[in-house]
Amino acid sequence: MDHYKNTRTINKRFLRAVGGVIWCAVIGGVLLWSRPAMAQTVPPLPQPPPDAACKLCHRDSTATVTLPSGDIIHAGIDPAVLDQSVHGVGAAAPVYCTDCHAPRQRYQFPHGENPAQDLAQFHREVAQNCEQCHVSAEVHNPGHLQAEDASQLPNCVDCHGGHAAAPVAAMQADPVGACQQCHQEFADPHVGDVHAELAANLGAGQTCETCHASTPQSEDAKCQTCHSLLTSQLTLASGDTVELHVNPQDIVDSVHGEQVIDGVQYTTLRCTDCHQDQALSGFPHQPIDAETRRELTISMQRVCQDCHTEIFELNADGVHAQHIADGDLEAATCADCHGNHAIHDPDEPRERVSQTCGNCHSEINEQYEASVHGAALLGENNPDVPVCTDCHGVHNIPDPTTAAFRLSSPQMCGRCHADVDMMEKYNISTEVFDTYVADFHGTTVTLFERHGSNEETNKAVCYDCHGVHNILPATDENSQVIKANLLATCRQCHPDANENFPDSWTSHFKPSLEHNPLVYFVDLFYMIVIPATIGGFVLFIGTDILRRTRERFQRKRRGSKGE
Amino acid sequence: MSNPQPHYHRFNIFQRIEHIILLISFTALAITGLPQMFSLQPWASFMIEAMGGIETVRIIHRSSAVLLIIGTIYHFVAVAYRLFVRRVALTMLPSLQDVKDGLQALGHNLGIVKTPPRMGRYSFGEKVEYWAVIWGTVVMVLTGFMLWNPISTTSLLPGEFIPAAKAAHGGEALLAVLSIVTWHFYHVHVKRFNRSMFTGYISHEEMEEEHALELHAIEQGSVGVDADPESMRRRRRVFIPAAAVITTFLLIGLYFFVTYEQTAITTVPRQNIDIFTPLTPEPGSVQ
Repeated sequence: MDHYKNTRTINKRFLRAVGGVIWCAVIGGVLLWSRPAMAQTVPPLPQPPPDAACKLCHRDSTATVTLPSGDIIHAGIDPAVLDQSVHGVGAAAPVYCTDCHAPRQRYQFPHGENPAQDLAQFHREVAQNCEQCHVSAEVHNPGHLQAEDASQLPNCVDCHGGHAAAPVAAMQADPVGACQQCHQEFADPHVGDVHAELAANLGAGQTCETCHASTPQSEDAKCQTCHSLLTSQLTLASGDTVELHVNPQDIVDSVHGEQVIDGVQYTTLRCTDCHQDQALSGFPHQPIDAETRRELTISMQRVCQDCHTEIFELNADGVHAQHIADGDLEAATCADCHGNHAIHDPDEPRERVSQTCGNCHSEINEQYEASVHGAALLGENNPDVPVCTDCHGVHNIPDPTTAAFRLSSPQMCGRCHADVDMMEKYNISTEVFDTYVADFHGTTVTLFERHGSNEETNKAVCYDCHGVHNILPATDENSQVIKANLLATCRQCHPDANENFPDSWTSHFKPSLEHNPLVYFVDLFYMIVIPATIGGFVLFIGTDILRRTRERFQRKRRGSKGE
Repeated sequence: MSNPQPHYHRFNIFQRIEHIILLISFTALAITGLPQMFSLQPWASFMIEAMGGIETVRIIHRSSAVLLIIGTIYHFVAVAYRLFVRRVALTMLPSLQDVKDGLQALGHNLGIVKTPPRMGRYSFGEKVEYWAVIWGTVVMVLTGFMLWNPISTTSLLPGEFIPAAKAAHGGEALLAVLSIVTWHFYHVHVKRFNRSMFTGYISHEEMEEEHALELHAIEQGSVGVDADPESMRRRRRVFIPAAAVITTFLLIGLYFFVTYEQTAITTVPRQNIDIFTPLTPEPGSVQ
């Protein structure tokens, strides 16, 4: 047992030694392996933060410092304000008092006298330290640096605040408010009251930066952003008002939007393409000379002239331009018919033409709409009936009250009414033109017209009988030319006309057995009598000439025989 | 007169003046009328413009018509004088002999008949022309009146008579002008220039050829003998007042013809409508 006991003892010592080594290795390994975790779990020795001393005094201080300017700095800091600020508990890394209030020597305790002259200078001084962590003001907000009054330049603190520096998200929630801290009145001498209106009308996603972006806006964008926000009116000297609002989309959607014409790609017109005049379109805008809205509208027609030169020249010959030149400002200019920003194809759809003219000529348009032409245009969208411009022209619209217009009017009606293909569709005779011209009225008018005489003639033209804008089908019971109404129509010019008189007009029929047989027979009579008579005369004369020639020949022969 | 041939007095000064009046009025009527008939032909249109425009042409045409009517009235009085005062034979009246003469002349021309017709004071050709002028003048004056006074006309006749009158006026005019250009021009200008209507005298040769019977009668001394001066004076005492009254009536008729009705007002009434009736104070305008 002892023997056993001895060997056992030796073994025990050895084993304890090995076990000790293993334990040591395991514990050491575990210790080594788990060291970082230990560092976490074991709290570091309480080190006082570098600004603990600052807070110790400034936490509940009610002290104030009066700067030379009279500005007062309050020494007291509410720690809660600091904690909630962007630099507080939510910050990625702790921000200490001395990070902003640097350099350290300047703020050493006991504090020396504050060298700043006023609060603004003090803020400026503090703001210089923002760049330690943040991008520079030149990059972040170059706009302010362009301000004319350098001494008034805002710094980081002016906008973002000091101890209460708000998170960016909070600023974005009320971006205008942020700017308004300084720019409460928007007292910009350039834009005046308009500025407040613009800020009030800012839409979703629009901020001061919509206009005052860090990257400069194009001229056109400036015009558009401003005028799309404006809703007020400009008051002219006469008291007339002008809308300031322009919807930029109107131009994009208009004929002046992006277009391909004849294979050429056109981009949307810019505001300044039309509003080139510096006096009006330069910024700040000059006061408008026009005293009334109407004067302004008329003065704006020059805007169209540069691109639409030919049309402008045509228009100058037109009755509207002539009236304006004569001082009748009610006459239409470009914009009256075409609109201004939202310009669309004037004849698309076709009835748009009569509506456009009807804006000023409503009474005439009412008549037209009830006429055979107008009813077909509006009711059936008929492509053949004339709209206003087909008879009156487009830009160089002639004065329809002149003798020249009256004299050429049958040609105007004849353009369609003598067109066989067109009239076939409506079963209307194309003889109307020829029969008119062959008649006393038509002959006279045609000769007057042909000889370029602009004299008045009292001979009727188409519209004297058929009506001007109120033309009805010749079968309509209200037509001026239907049998029952014809005498009254004749009497407009022939006041003494009797019941039989209207029949002296052949109603555009070529004489035939059915229509005007008496005329037909007279024509037939002379068609036979003239050739018969003259033919007889000529035949007789022929035989007479024959005999005389024969006799002369015989005389000559006899004469030569006799010799 | 240096003419060695004997020549004969054919037309007195009044007849020659009558002819001149007819010549002037007829030519003026034709020159101003035919372009109206064919007014849209380029030549007609040119002529109308050259004459001062359609309204001037119409005035000339109507003035010439008045001249023609005056000439016609005179002619009726002159014929009546021959009929009632001088009581000479009405040599212009057509007869069956004229038809025979015409046929004989045609046959002679064709070589079927050996001798030409021997004709009196007025040959069949002259009678054709005279009566054509009478007929033509009647048609033209009547249809002309209808065209000049359509309202008065239609108070008696259906309206269709006006365009019918226009057709007849044109047809008859064409017939007349073509007759003059063919028949008249051939016989008195082309065949031989017969100056008797201007000089009043005709040559022996012409008389022989065209008025053989008259020549014979002249040579017999049975032509140109008026009644005795006493009965002429007596007849004239009745004729002159009667002719004066009738002429006055005819001239009044002519005045009526010219001035009876005011067919149309001189200025066509304009449509009475407000041109500027804007729907809104300012239609297009600035923004």
